[in-house]
Amino acid sequence: MNLLLPGMYFAADTVLHRLDPRVKMGAATVLMMLPFAARHPLGHLLTVGLVGAAVLLSRAPWRALLGTLRTVFWLGFFMFFFYFFTTPGRPLVALGGVTVTLEGVLAGALQVYRLCLLAVIAALLTYTTSPLQLTHGLEAMLSPLARLGFPAREMGMVMTISLRFVPTFFEEIETLSRAQKARGVDLSSGPPWQRIRNTVPVLVPLFLSAIRRAEDLAVAMEARGFRSQPHRTRLYRLTLTRADAIAALIVLACGGVGIAL
Amino acid sequence: MHIQVESLTHIYARGTPAERVALRGIHLEIGPGERVGITGPTGSGKSTLVQHIAGLLVPAAGQVLLDGVPAHARTPEARARRRQIGLAFQFPEAQMFEVTVFREVAFGPRHLGLGADEIAARVRWALEMVGLDPDAFADRVPFALSGGEMRRVALAGILALKPRVLILDEPTAGLDPRGRADILARLRAWQAQTGATLILVSHHMDDMAGLVDRVVLLADGQVVADGPTGHILSDCDRLRAIGLSPPPAVALLEALRAAGWPVRTDALDVEEVVAEIVRGSISHKDTKAQRI
Repeated sequence: MNLLLPGMYFAADTVLHRLDPRVKMGAATVLMMLPFAARHPLGHLLTVGLVGAAVLLSRAPWRALLGTLRTVFWLGFFMFFFYFFTTPGRPLVALGGVTVTLEGVLAGALQVYRLCLLAVIAALLTYTTSPLQLTHGLEAMLSPLARLGFPAREMGMVMTISLRFVPTFFEEIETLSRAQKARGVDLSSGPPWQRIRNTVPVLVPLFLSAIRRAEDLAVAMEARGFRSQPHRTRLYRLTLTRADAIAALIVLACGGVGIAL
Repeated sequence: MHIQVESLTHIYARGTPAERVALRGIHLEIGPGERVGITGPTGSGKSTLVQHIAGLLVPAAGQVLLDGVPAHARTPEARARRRQIGLAFQFPEAQMFEVTVFREVAFGPRHLGLGADEIAARVRWALEMVGLDPDAFADRVPFALSGGEMRRVALAGILALKPRVLILDEPTAGLDPRGRADILARLRAWQAQTGATLILVSHHMDDMAGLVDRVVLLADGQVVADGPTGHILSDCDRLRAIGLSPPPAVALLEALRAAGWPVRTDALDVEEVVAEIVRGSISHKDTKAQRI
């Protein structure tokens, strides 16, 4: 496969990679709340410092992080101008009927800052945690709900299976578009509606193969005696280490201070 | 069409930890109307090479020239040449998407911008070429056909493009022995009728033996041998060294020879082999008789 998507897992051996997925997901949640909950500038400074430290620890390539920010560029752009023009306050400049206010500029900047932090935190989580670990952690966090009848284990299974097939489908799309190109379809040029119509020869076989795969997988799982109901044990179990405890403490402490300030 | 492959190199997932070199400076020349087989163990670069010839991939280094024009170029001349190359991928039936066999086969010709009559004529011709009765099959749903019939429909979809170069990537994979023999015979008939270039990718030595005059042996992204079919396929030691098994006929003759029977080992089809064994057994008796 030739593509590197923003937010794709980046295999490495750093402190962040080794942390328990449950701790990382909890920490990400706390860090994502901070830029909204903090009122004092020092709280924001603390948040940025913490995220910055995490970025350095993760050794994630800068190019990849910038790619993540690019995905939220347009959203940030519109949010900024929305606040820019609609917040009442002290007028700065009047641009033909619309007044730009100082409060507007500040509010817009605040929204963009929050959005960027959210994107970076989410990317950090997926850079340092493999999809398998993520689902494993999510399943573990949801398992208390299983007693209330929530199908936590089944959810985990569904997530694991769907993630497993993402690269397979990318490869299949690649092969199918080459095969149809060899039959004379030009997938990358022509008027827009023509291009949309040209996706049919790729999408129909893709769906067909997805359905066939799902059937085969279901039969294969049954044939091997897979059942979701009885308690299943795992080869690798999640265990909390000292590093996990320290990381959790740091994030919680910073979160507490950030909100209290 | 004259195909020239010049120091072609291909690298998958370049610049990532999963980087893999699939082709290392391949040189190859295929003249118009030639029947060439490309073989080699899994991962030797066969499929990558033919996709380059069809202009579907961009080389990391080197180039493929079709009548002197780079195959992957975005120019009208290159596009016109690519259109004369038909490529059937492995398991081509996986690309089908239309609601009837007719529409499926007509898909390629329609994109060539042909008139309705010409399209209908080509579809009939292509279906007959692969051994399906156009009247019985044209209105059927492709997905309700048997595996062998689906393969034929998919191949007809390529033949209907009337390519001057036909590339088949493992056309008989997953078919039963009779289906295989039949498809190979039909391809032979198609080639004799059109005089087009035929490039067959396969690691079935038997498929090669009956269909191509020249075999190119690939291993680890490089050409290790290139020559007449009988010559390449009877070199058991070389085939085994790169992880392929020689065709059964050759293996049999080789075993006889090792047991002291004076037979040649470059016979590829059953009749030749029988003749060789008969000849060998007569002279074997003679030598025995002389000794006594």
